[in-house]
Amino acid sequence: MILFILLQIHGITTLKRNQISPPIKHFFNMKFHLLILLSIHLLQTPFITTGDRSLIESTCRATPSYNLCMSTLLTNPKSSTGDVSELGLIMVGATKAKATRAIQQIKSVYRSRPDLRRALNECAQMYIAVVQADVPSAVQALDGGQPKFAEDGMADTAVEAQACERSFIERGHKSPLTKMNKDIENVANVARAIIRMLL
Amino acid sequence: MASSSDLENPNAISSLPYSYAPLSDGEQPAGDEPTTGLHPKKATIFFVCAFLSVTFLVALFAGNEHVLPKDLSTNAAPSMAVTPAITTPLSRGVDKGVSEKSFRPFLGAENSYPWSSNMLDWQRTSFHFQPENNWMNDPNGPVFYQGWYHLFYQYHPDAPVWGKIVWGHAVSKDLINWRHLPIAMETDQWYDEQGVWTGSATILPDGQLVVIYTGSTNESVQVQNLAYPADPSDPLLINWVKYPGNPVLVPPPGIDNKDFRDPTTAWKTPEGKWRITIGSKINKTGISLVYDTEDFKTFELLDGVLHAVPGTGMWECVDFYPISKQAENGLDTSVDGPGVKHVVKASMDDDRNDYYAIGSYDAYKGKWTPDNPTLDVGIGLRYDYGIYYASKTFYDQNKQRRVLWSWIKETDTEASDISKGWASLMGVPRTILLDKKTQSNIIQWPVEEINALRTNATVFNNLVMEAGSLVPLYLPTASQLDIVAEFELDEQTVMRLNGADVAYDCATKGGAATRGALGPFGFSVLAHEGLIEHTPVYFYVAKGVDGNLKTFFCADQSRSSTATDVDKSIYGNIVPVLNGEKLSMRILVDHSIVESFAQEGRTCITSRVYPTKAIYNNARLFLFNNATAATVTASVSVWQMKSAEI
Repeated sequence: MILFILLQIHGITTLKRNQISPPIKHFFNMKFHLLILLSIHLLQTPFITTGDRSLIESTCRATPSYNLCMSTLLTNPKSSTGDVSELGLIMVGATKAKATRAIQQIKSVYRSRPDLRRALNECAQMYIAVVQADVPSAVQALDGGQPKFAEDGMADTAVEAQACERSFIERGHKSPLTKMNKDIENVANVARAIIRMLL
Repeated sequence: MASSSDLENPNAISSLPYSYAPLSDGEQPAGDEPTTGLHPKKATIFFVCAFLSVTFLVALFAGNEHVLPKDLSTNAAPSMAVTPAITTPLSRGVDKGVSEKSFRPFLGAENSYPWSSNMLDWQRTSFHFQPENNWMNDPNGPVFYQGWYHLFYQYHPDAPVWGKIVWGHAVSKDLINWRHLPIAMETDQWYDEQGVWTGSATILPDGQLVVIYTGSTNESVQVQNLAYPADPSDPLLINWVKYPGNPVLVPPPGIDNKDFRDPTTAWKTPEGKWRITIGSKINKTGISLVYDTEDFKTFELLDGVLHAVPGTGMWECVDFYPISKQAENGLDTSVDGPGVKHVVKASMDDDRNDYYAIGSYDAYKGKWTPDNPTLDVGIGLRYDYGIYYASKTFYDQNKQRRVLWSWIKETDTEASDISKGWASLMGVPRTILLDKKTQSNIIQWPVEEINALRTNATVFNNLVMEAGSLVPLYLPTASQLDIVAEFELDEQTVMRLNGADVAYDCATKGGAATRGALGPFGFSVLAHEGLIEHTPVYFYVAKGVDGNLKTFFCADQSRSSTATDVDKSIYGNIVPVLNGEKLSMRILVDHSIVESFAQEGRTCITSRVYPTKAIYNNARLFLFNNATAATVTASVSVWQMKSAEI
């Protein structure tokens, strides 16, 4: 996709050198090319056949968060060609992405909230465990056909997210990560539900 | 002396027993859903023009956040021993300071914990097999060979979590003290590149040893491979050779590439061939395929299956072995005949429990039928009502017994496992025999060699405990114990009591805090002085309307720890008690594992326990009778257990 766009841009700039046109007219031309290109790109991305979509729908209906499941899967092009195992991998990937963002968020709060450092440290350890252990284990397990270990990884992720939230509450603090923790717990539970279908 | 304090009058309210998170109910409200992506049909030219530059930049720079790169698992393994950069080491003193200062009105208890290294260090066991670090799961190829007991095991050398698995290896003279050896088999062939998975050993009549194991190929197809010792005269079996013609078995037609694993030890057929069985599934029916071979290199798939049970899902780690109807010894896997029953066991992928059934084997047809179809494999009896999976037996020709190994996983968080650097144990090996008295179940008992670790016996005979009593048993330490006890309910109360048909089960009736007329009574292990943390292991006797007694045997983790990120389930089951039998239990306490046995091994429960306070010198042992009516007379022997060499 990106290569295609770059080639077009190269073509357009070449055009620019060879033609003498008013800047505005040329600018409009360039935009036109890009518009076509990007429309195609954007149109393609979430394009899914009815048949594939029904697998996604039935899979998501069997999870605790249908909307979260649908939006996560539909925005990933691999879900259109994937079987349930692939859908599970996509959800594990979404979990990883959220956990990685959580670690970044923890780092940024860490500087401004020294009073929360103990809890933030604990949370960081938990999400690092998710990213470095739970997720790779789940991917290996889904690829290799021992889905129970993937289920364990996602079950643990939900527990870590809850434990992170509690680490603030237990110290009498309001958690700065509540939405993030809840998101991760939810997406991990969706992943777990999908993985269970493979057992 | 018996005190009369109620067991459940705690000095502080213990924290809510969070069990592992169940799947959350219901959906998110739509407003909380993240909205991502664009709806292409709504794109108008104006819309597109307006942020062309933005999308242009996005197209150039956006990462594929939602797509998980498939090669993630082969990235360089993170160093698990390294704590994250922003974590500062926490000293114990500082922890204590923090916990004393903060107060949680609605939980009441002292603040919990971050997991200090003290707490985590205590969790490591003293007489249970475990590698020095990282992850272990299924036991593999257990065998007694040229004077040594061998244990191989699924091992992940890079992290305390499952991954690309190799065969770890250790040897012992006595099943208790172990010597770790180098990795026996690595993922060095295309046919086991994604994992050297579970397998079994067979000793041939001429003394030769062969191993058949599952390999996960470079394309994640499950195949069976042959391996044998590089040097059969090396009793330590350090080096192994994989048969150049591997794989010897690939998934047959109709069987999914990922539903074909864990081959058994082979046994002789009436025709003089060798036979193995391999678990699988067809839709939701668990099955076990049967193969015959003469040389372990070419195999013939028999028609049909050894057995199948609908609705049980994938059968992992199938085991198949004879037990004697009369004798008190184990039998070689090839033994058959009129005095013999056969056990089929399988690990149920769906519910993570090991189930077995006793039945009859037809050697000519290669089929097995359960004695009691309502207690068929996967729907009837379990080896153990706690944490116990992927178990496997072997015939120990040294002592003529059938010995059972099992994987005991952690029930704490992965973050804790990474902090402590390890995950998983093996249970203490158990002998298996047919229960001659009931004829309908097996009994399991820790191998006798474990008794060699006993020291410093403390004995109480005929200790009378009235209803609602708690007896501290004063011991120098209580993290490594072997407890053997007999209990008798007072006849009068039992006879006088009006029965009721109130249903009881260990898991859902509130554990040891729920008082009945005739129970619960037993021990609280890994108990803190004020019982803020304790793990009761107990009998609960219920008298039915018909006057018959039902006895339940339970292990209660609901108050085992003030930590909120550990499993706090209550495990257990009914235990058959025959007329005239006293109630008896045995408990092995070994730091973070507790193995409990009732009625000489008729019902067994393995628990993982992670206290934060009831550790080291603060771990105590109590005897209790929390019944409302009956007096219980107990005779108890408690030994301190020495540490084994592991």
